[in-house]
Amino acid sequence: MANVVKIAETLDNAARHAEAIEQISNYDKMTLPEAYEVQRTLIRRRLDRGEKRVGMKMGFTSRAKMVQMGLSDLVWGRLTDQMVIEDGGVLAFKNYVHPRVEPEVAFLLKRPLGWPVTGAEALAAVEAVAPAMEIIDSRYKNFKFSLEDVVADNSSSSGFVVGPWQKADGDLTNLGMVLEFDGRPVQIGSSAAILGNPIRSLVAAARLTHEAEEGLQAGWIVMAGGATAAEALKPGVHVRHIVETLGFVSFTVSAG
Amino acid sequence: MTEAAIETAARDIRTAWETGKAIPAVRDSLPAGDVAAAYAVQSRNTRHWIATGRRPSGRKIGLTAKAVQKQLGVDQPDYGILYADMEVVDGDEIAAGRVLQPRAEAEIALVLEKDLTDRQLTLIDLIAATAYALPAIEVVGSRIANWDIKIVDTIADNASSGLYVLGTSPVTLDRIDLRLCGMSLEKKGEPVSVGAGLACLGNPLNAALWLARKMVDVGMPLKAGDTILTGALGPMAPIAPGDVIEARISGLGSVRAAFAA
Repeated sequence: MANVVKIAETLDNAARHAEAIEQISNYDKMTLPEAYEVQRTLIRRRLDRGEKRVGMKMGFTSRAKMVQMGLSDLVWGRLTDQMVIEDGGVLAFKNYVHPRVEPEVAFLLKRPLGWPVTGAEALAAVEAVAPAMEIIDSRYKNFKFSLEDVVADNSSSSGFVVGPWQKADGDLTNLGMVLEFDGRPVQIGSSAAILGNPIRSLVAAARLTHEAEEGLQAGWIVMAGGATAAEALKPGVHVRHIVETLGFVSFTVSAG
Repeated sequence: MTEAAIETAARDIRTAWETGKAIPAVRDSLPAGDVAAAYAVQSRNTRHWIATGRRPSGRKIGLTAKAVQKQLGVDQPDYGILYADMEVVDGDEIAAGRVLQPRAEAEIALVLEKDLTDRQLTLIDLIAATAYALPAIEVVGSRIANWDIKIVDTIADNASSGLYVLGTSPVTLDRIDLRLCGMSLEKKGEPVSVGAGLACLGNPLNAALWLARKMVDVGMPLKAGDTILTGALGPMAPIAPGDVIEARISGLGSVRAAFAA
């Protein structure tokens, strides 16, 4: 039986001090449910410090990401207000271990979503959709981890930036997406890479949060998952993500 | 010496195309990295095939992704000739062995309604000459065993062309975002290759303009009615017997290729 409280403390401290740590699985065996219990405990610590829960993120929703990480399961993590980077804002590089950015789309919910839910019901609960980026920053050395390791580490989530919200009344299944560093494309993809259709990711989010006995809440943001492999951030770089018909979202990485 | 080598390479490639038996790479018999010699091989076969009655229907542009150019050590795309007999209609079954070592790419096809014969062609000339765009699947193939190709091999082998399938609802250029349009190439409903318009040299029109200028330079200018396959919008996908693949391009609709088991 893994020491959930101790592992959560270790991971929380690693995130707070931007220090890479050894994989938990190297010295303590966690089951997947235990790993999610670590994540829950870790987020509880953050909420106890005054952070506010604002949503959840899906992970490993694209084949490119699964290949990059050598994993084959969907994962999810919890988002707090402290992880928000303003659109057009600055990311403080020193607060991260080895941050990477992923191009995504985000959903804003106007109604709670329980389980079971259909794609149509999920879409009907969406207030708005936006181009978005997630900052992932594994607390593990060399971004290396097992499935249980990454789940315990809040699925590598450490920041997110959301662009202008708009009505989700268009076809979201195949929107071209380009991630730019300093105006040059570094990743090119389509929203089709997100489980074939980002709404499927929202349905999966409803299922996974239901299984965790929390469900999706009205007002929450759901990050639907990366559409391409993640790109490593560098000091000073200007990052922009453009989504066909949805517009763009951007931030700049601090110089040091 | 080179002349004889060019003739031999052209004949070997033609034989492989006719018999369906792949041959070893041809680059070793030609000057290393000699793109001009490679095009000389290709045009020898172009002349041969036109003389024997094959009707050219357009051109294809290859090596339009930065990553692929880097892999082959080149800094520009290449081209090959499309023939009318390479066209397959939407969803029609493609017989086993019709293309050697088939792979698939999703692309934007442009169809011209004016000749592009001027020296110093501009983007505006190209836009004015384009009647409409269609979604396309290019079934590429290689007459070279195991796709063991370098730049000379692929150019000599008509830019590794095979067959092409076009969608059937023309869209004019003012109705589509050629740069940002999403592309998903799917097999059994699952994306096997995804991308967007700008994966093709930043914009499919950039590739088409390169081609139009190149065709004027080499004395084979693009003509009204020509189809241009502008280049892949995502990674090449492998094909297995029995596969049905569908390319969806945002704003252009979809097109299918079915491979016999």
